[in-house]
Amino acid sequence: MTVLPDLLAGLEFSTLPQQLVNGILLGAIYALIALGYTMVYGVLKLINFAHGEVFMLGAYTALFTSWSFGFTQAGSRQDSSPGILIAMLIVSMTVCGFVGVLIERFAYRPMRSQPRIASLITAIGISLLLQYGGQLFLPSSPPPSISDKVNPFKGNIEIPLKPADSALLAQAEQLKAKVTSTKAAYDEQLKSEKDSFNLSPVGKELRTASQDAERDYRNAIDKANKDALVITLPQGQVIMLVTTVVLMIILTWLVMKTTAGRAMRAASLDFDAASLMGINVNTVIAFTFFIGSALAGAGAMMNASFLGGTKIDTFFGMLPGVKAFVAAVLGGIGNIPGAVLGGILMGLAETMVIWAGYGNYKDAIAFIVLIVVLLVKPGGLLGSNKVEKV
Amino acid sequence: MKFWGVRLASILGAVAFCFLLEGVAQGQSSFVQRLFVLAGLYVTLAVSLNLINGITGQFSIGHAAFYQVGAYTAGFCASRFFAQLNLPPAAWLLLMMITSAITAGLAGLLVGLPSLRLKGDYLAIVTLGFGEIIRIFAQNQEALGGAYGLTVAPKIQYVWAAWLLAILCIAVCRNLLRTAHGLPFLAVREDEIASSAMGVNVTQTKVVAFVLGSMFAGAAGAILAHFESFVSPPMFTMDVSFTIVTMVVLGGTGSITGSVLAAILLFYLPEKMRDFTNIPLSGVAAAFVAISAAVFAIRWVMQNFHGSAKDRAIRYLGIVVGALVIWFISKALLGNVPSLKENIDGSKLRMVVFSVTLVVLMLLRPQGMLGHHEFSWDWVRSKFGKPTIKEATA
Repeated sequence: MTVLPDLLAGLEFSTLPQQLVNGILLGAIYALIALGYTMVYGVLKLINFAHGEVFMLGAYTALFTSWSFGFTQAGSRQDSSPGILIAMLIVSMTVCGFVGVLIERFAYRPMRSQPRIASLITAIGISLLLQYGGQLFLPSSPPPSISDKVNPFKGNIEIPLKPADSALLAQAEQLKAKVTSTKAAYDEQLKSEKDSFNLSPVGKELRTASQDAERDYRNAIDKANKDALVITLPQGQVIMLVTTVVLMIILTWLVMKTTAGRAMRAASLDFDAASLMGINVNTVIAFTFFIGSALAGAGAMMNASFLGGTKIDTFFGMLPGVKAFVAAVLGGIGNIPGAVLGGILMGLAETMVIWAGYGNYKDAIAFIVLIVVLLVKPGGLLGSNKVEKV
Repeated sequence: MKFWGVRLASILGAVAFCFLLEGVAQGQSSFVQRLFVLAGLYVTLAVSLNLINGITGQFSIGHAAFYQVGAYTAGFCASRFFAQLNLPPAAWLLLMMITSAITAGLAGLLVGLPSLRLKGDYLAIVTLGFGEIIRIFAQNQEALGGAYGLTVAPKIQYVWAAWLLAILCIAVCRNLLRTAHGLPFLAVREDEIASSAMGVNVTQTKVVAFVLGSMFAGAAGAILAHFESFVSPPMFTMDVSFTIVTMVVLGGTGSITGSVLAAILLFYLPEKMRDFTNIPLSGVAAAFVAISAAVFAIRWVMQNFHGSAKDRAIRYLGIVVGALVIWFISKALLGNVPSLKENIDGSKLRMVVFSVTLVVLMLLRPQGMLGHHEFSWDWVRSKFGKPTIKEATA
């Protein structure tokens, strides 16, 4: 029973709040992708394996849009504005939406009368085709990234939760005084010995003293900083979170208040009955794919341009896609609030694994969560546990 | 007596075939020998996955996991016990194949148990996830060589071992289907609920299929480890799983003959494509256009026109000619696009070919090349206008 204390001893609790916030920020992206999975599953009962690749294409679209605005890798343009970001967002969303509709029209619609496993194989095929075929036509080696000049919001928002212990701070201040004095003495000595190549023994002593003082000061200030609890939020990520929330509100309005949304809900409830009631099911499905893919495009654009220097290649969407799928299952596939909840939980789970020091396993955690969810509560957290009737 | 005679003859024939292959391969370069062995391994993998996917109907897309478990077991044991036991290479390889089969079978049991509750796409995702977990685990274990992999001490390069395993796998699957033991597998594939109502133990059947399929993959892994004398996590990525799935799907889910043919075809094709260097990118893009046009034209013809075999043949010929024309025209048009002026190597097209195969196959012939059909001498006889064996003896 010594495992648990050992595990706990390795944890750095002062960084926990920061990691939780990071988890929520990451989870917002997963939630955006998971919405696409869940909406398509709700209507078609199909796992859209190619959704992660739509995400990848969204990142590439954002990249090309940023190039067309002049933010090339050479870095010719320096100034950016929110307008450019909004333009990139809209272009990514539109292109992804249409890609999703095209995939549905030419790959999934012909499969609708076939067994579900045939659609699944088609989806895997499309996903592989976009990954490896994209490799031929899209710039991927070396993987490009969107210039960080695109993001005009560079600052950090700091939220102090608990100030540093004043005693520690005072101690650090004292040490700082010592650092300045020893450094000054060493500089004096250097000036006087400017002409000689080697330092004299006195100079060496002064140098050691100055370095020692500086090291002590660093240690003290680190200790003080660790004692303080400050959550640092890059402005860009806050904007990402706000945009995500706005998009989700728009989605809720679309699904709950509009005619198209009502048709979508009807098709999701009972596909055949909906078509008998005069709903054009093909349009509804195309609409669902458009919305879901556009959300993935938004997520991709934000992921690629706000997290500076994210490398884009054609496998960019694979892991986020899988994790978002797990998020959708975790929340209850087919359930829109569930996808958001699942996405945030997945983001939290991933950052917690990194926080606990198992960063190598951060990609495996998604699958472990998936297997556990499917075994314990196959319907997901917010989904219904339907028993299949004969 | 006749039964035993036929059986003995086929066993001897199979063994003779393996050593014939060995003899053919011996004179060749090491590259060709490698092709022979890997082709045998892929046949084993495809047929064993077919047992899970095609015959039992449990769609698994993580077969590389069991392959990996087998390979790592062999690698791990070889570095520790080979020197102590002092066995001849063939006996050691056999021992390792059995050990790897057992560990992979245990891994199969581990995946088979959740499969009781899952079906269809969920099961597919779980098997995929399991494959990734195994790979990431091996990547982070110092005892298993971490990201660099393990060096496997004795290099044992027997072509016959790979093909003997392949033939054993084919024989087990075929005999399973021919006997009463195999009927539950088919029943579970066709309808789980109905078969459980008829007294089939669905759980047991699924688990047995998983364990049996993964045991063969594990034994194949042991051969791979000793052949390459090296194992590392990148050898067992999702690509390998998808390759095996493509083989099973192309051959026809449920057809052992189909899996064997598709495995050899899909293994050989990418190797052949390596010979083609400097393929113009515009040609590849034009091929995409032409193939999609041809696929949708064929679908349209299949749905809207019926007629004699001759009529159909003429229509399909027309489509093929049309596709070629489209290819030439679009190649000429796309040749002017500056970003398509590059040339690429054929080796880059490997997974592209697999993915196009999957999609085109699903759109045109979802049951695969052979569907549920198997190769049989009756079929050969009927092609020559002779009565089947049963009719002839009756």
